[in-house]
Amino acid sequence: MIGVGTRKRISDARASRTSMERVRQAGILIILSLGAIVMLLPFEWMIATSLSRAANLGLPRIPRFWPPDPSLFNYQLAADNLPLIQYYLNTVIVVGTTTIAFLFFSSLTGYAFAKGRFPGRNALFIAFLATLLVPFEMRMIPLYGLMRDLHLNNTMGALIVPFLVGGFGTFLMRQYILSIPDDLIDAARLDGAGEFAIYRLVILPLCVPVLAALAVINVIWRWNDLVWPLMAVSDRGLYTITLGLALAARGSQQIYVGIALATAALAVLPVVVIYILLQRHIIRGITLTGMKG
Amino acid sequence: MTAVSVGGGLVRRRRLTLPSKARVRGWLPWYSFVLPPFALFLLFVIYPTLQAFRLSFFRQVGATQQFAGLYQYQRLSHDQVFINALLNTALLGVAFLCIVLPLATILASLLNSLRRFSTPFKVIYFLPQVTSAVAVAVVFNYVFQPDFGLLNSLLRSTGVQDLPLWLADPRYDLTGSRAGATILAVFVGLGYFMLITLAGLQTIPTELYDAAAIDGAGHFQAWRYVTLPSLRPTFVFLLITGIVDAMARFSDLWTLGGPSGTPARSLQSIVMYMYQVAFDGGDMNYASAIAVVFFAIVLAITIFSFRTLVLNEVRRRRTAALAEPVLAVSVANEVTVE
Repeated sequence: MIGVGTRKRISDARASRTSMERVRQAGILIILSLGAIVMLLPFEWMIATSLSRAANLGLPRIPRFWPPDPSLFNYQLAADNLPLIQYYLNTVIVVGTTTIAFLFFSSLTGYAFAKGRFPGRNALFIAFLATLLVPFEMRMIPLYGLMRDLHLNNTMGALIVPFLVGGFGTFLMRQYILSIPDDLIDAARLDGAGEFAIYRLVILPLCVPVLAALAVINVIWRWNDLVWPLMAVSDRGLYTITLGLALAARGSQQIYVGIALATAALAVLPVVVIYILLQRHIIRGITLTGMKG
Repeated sequence: MTAVSVGGGLVRRRRLTLPSKARVRGWLPWYSFVLPPFALFLLFVIYPTLQAFRLSFFRQVGATQQFAGLYQYQRLSHDQVFINALLNTALLGVAFLCIVLPLATILASLLNSLRRFSTPFKVIYFLPQVTSAVAVAVVFNYVFQPDFGLLNSLLRSTGVQDLPLWLADPRYDLTGSRAGATILAVFVGLGYFMLITLAGLQTIPTELYDAAAIDGAGHFQAWRYVTLPSLRPTFVFLLITGIVDAMARFSDLWTLGGPSGTPARSLQSIVMYMYQVAFDGGDMNYASAIAVVFFAIVLAITIFSFRTLVLNEVRRRRTAALAEPVLAVSVANEVTVE
């Protein structure tokens, strides 16, 4: 039997522990919120400044987070200055084709290396793996020469063909497919399915989570890339959005803060919308693969 | 008798050396899966890699390429601009990692013990990575602007008199251009480091914390003596990939300072110099020598950190999964897929 006094003491202790826990949770929330404000402040300032026509003539010495004269004037000029829609279209073509090819080839080779039995399998797999140690920057200059020899220089092809296959995708897919039980594959084989049918009907549906993760990192890779588009294309009609933005920022436009930041906002906003819509998949993709851009 | 046995021997030998048609036919689909992508791989990955080595041993004389032995490497050894770029890259990388790793660990630990609302924080901290380093660098060019930039305006309104010049100041200084570039890198990279650390935190068994609580450990002690040691594999992974990424740094620095890393080449990285030599100078051979040195450094760092950090880890934990051939990546797997 626990006396009334003891029971009261226990419930007091529990109450003080939960109230301490509540204080702790509030403290954590405050620290993380301050960090989040720091992360968002530059973007907020970008939007506020880009909406102000007067910003082009000079900014106040005290930071302003709301435009005194909100208008879309800078956005109008930014859109007139740069063919942003063309840039977006180019980016979508590059990101789309490389991602589809990358997923297809990664899963196909991953399946062969995980479940196939054929001479030379290990040697080929090691060749794929070894290149993971070679950064892209190491081979980009000869790659540029190769593009010239293939007459792909300054075409959309130059932005696409070097990225159709990659060691990382093959490796990741192989690791995942290894964990798929052989029984499933054997059952399909007994039903008379060929290897490609097994790949399409058994393996691919089971790989959707990894494929999604791989798609996420490939999109971030290609979206973020500056050095290769800078080398491979010089025709303005072929610029990706990242290249177009970087070159505009280095050009004469940088004198006009409002217009420059409106350009940056136009380059960022659609991605932010997509990011917020797909945030769950994107975050999962990053943690699953351990990769970013 | 002899003839028969010889014939039989031959047949048997043929069986041993040549597989049956059915088996070869069984291999065909696998080859059709692997060989087309491998051809692409040979052309766009392996061939250019080997070509980089080859080019670095040649020089352009008139319209022809001539074998030049170690000529390009001799040039490199007393090229002050190259040495400056090398130092910049190393310094920026070290500064970035020294700030981002502890900061991400603290923030991820806080995020991990938050009961609710953790998703919006993940989304916000990772945002700069998605908007692209280039876009963030464009904005930060103005954030760091000495007269009206966001940072100096904020400092001014808190009463700071001597406002730093940030990106306009090439000195080795805590408020110079390299400091600005480091702040930018932390801003962009923090979310990724947090997400990976968070994934590492979630693999720590709760029994460890229960045991620590029974021993009377407070929150901070549990963090210090349970969380941090358990995060070792995550730190190893982040360190290795972080160093390799830092060595290859290009897009944000190019956006801030152009091909020569203005001001006064204080923001020029190795890859930027490589790019400048190849495309502004038109010297593909010299640029290839830079590429080879760059590769050698990255490889040396990867192998060194792998040997010291990862093999220790294997010995400590005896995890079979870590013994996979390509090391950093399987550590990634080990750390994150669990």
